[in-house]
Amino acid sequence: MANAEKPKSYREMSQQLEEIMEWFESGDIDIDEAIKKYEEATKLLDEMEKYLKTAENKIKKISTAK
Amino acid sequence: MQELVFTPADFVAAINQTLEFAYPSVIIEGEISSFKVSKNRWVYFDLKDEEASVRFFGTVYSLPGPLEDGMTVRVVGSPSLHARFGFSVNFRSILPVGEGELKKAADLLFKKLAAEGLFAPERKRPLPAIPQTIGLVTAADSAAAADFNKILNERWGGVEILLADVYVQGEQAPTQIVQAIEHINGLSEIPEVLVITRGGGSAEDLAAFNNERLVRAVAASRIPTLVAIGHEVDTSLSELAADLRASTPTNAAQLLVPDKKHEQIVLANVRLSIQQSLESVQKEALQEVKNQREFLSRHLTNLSANELEKIRSTRKLVKLYDPRALLKRGYALVSVNGKFVKSIAQVKTAERLSIKLADGTIKANVQEILKDG
Repeated sequence: MANAEKPKSYREMSQQLEEIMEWFESGDIDIDEAIKKYEEATKLLDEMEKYLKTAENKIKKISTAK
Repeated sequence: MQELVFTPADFVAAINQTLEFAYPSVIIEGEISSFKVSKNRWVYFDLKDEEASVRFFGTVYSLPGPLEDGMTVRVVGSPSLHARFGFSVNFRSILPVGEGELKKAADLLFKKLAAEGLFAPERKRPLPAIPQTIGLVTAADSAAAADFNKILNERWGGVEILLADVYVQGEQAPTQIVQAIEHINGLSEIPEVLVITRGGGSAEDLAAFNNERLVRAVAASRIPTLVAIGHEVDTSLSELAADLRASTPTNAAQLLVPDKKHEQIVLANVRLSIQQSLESVQKEALQEVKNQREFLSRHLTNLSANELEKIRSTRKLVKLYDPRALLKRGYALVSVNGKFVKSIAQVKTAERLSIKLADGTIKANVQEILKDG
């Protein structure tokens, strides 16, 4: 993958997934493209599910006194 | 013993030293009178009761918001003797006393800031969907912080929280919170949303969030703000100035991030729906291939039927031209020396002819040649 070094945010993945779903709903669909899009969507779904299962919040205390 | 004689300046210095030692900080509660702001900067008023009146002096910076005569307030400050203007208490903070007074002060501030458009709905910005970084301004070991973090952890992961630990009540609260807001807004990498929260408390406990400087700092934040103060029923001016208000710290976490359990169900549905979409596309494509195959085969059948018909009529035609059919009808083929005779010029008298009929051949000699006409 081209941007493997920086993991996509959940929001970005969510947007990409939405675009694919819209594409599927647009009608007039080419089957080769459909298979490609389906694979893309599956990969995104896998990554998103992994994120939901593993991501943890981090708290960093900062000093703000002047 | 010699009597101690002061110069006026020495005396002022001595009194101030004594005051500083005896009363480094005093809290005085009373009714405001002769409230006056000079040059938008200097504030003068008296606090009085039935028997006495004390002068106060300070800057607008230390005011909680607009005040007026007749309000009962609690003032924190240091008494001092000014070299020219005499005795006064330099105030550091002022807080209206009692629910009624606090409300009156908040109403005054609300009117002032509303007139400036600080609470206008068109100022509100949307919060980012699923923020990756959150600036959190609260008391770090408070129940509010614990509730917020607990709900955030239950609902979502992968969020970085920058926590600014501040007093959320008392004299220092407004200044600390304002500093925290300004500090976070000044970071080179600002968080996507700024949350300011504290749990429930008395009107006095929550008063910091009706402080003018704090309300203005919330409104001025370049980071979208979510403010949740106290319980459902409490509404502070800071909340009104925020882009979004949450009823409680728990509610703030709920408004910020989706619930991952719900999101997992959504993803499962999306997976199913995309799978179905692909299947239906495949089905359609298959049907299309089938239709084309049928069309072609029908076309081919038509084609071959036509061809067959053509062949049949040609065959008929060919049959018509078959010389044997003519022979059967009584015609004869005459040849001499292996060549068909088409003209009397080809033959001579006494030559031997071969006459082919349908069922055999007659050999004959030419006796006479007669030309037609």
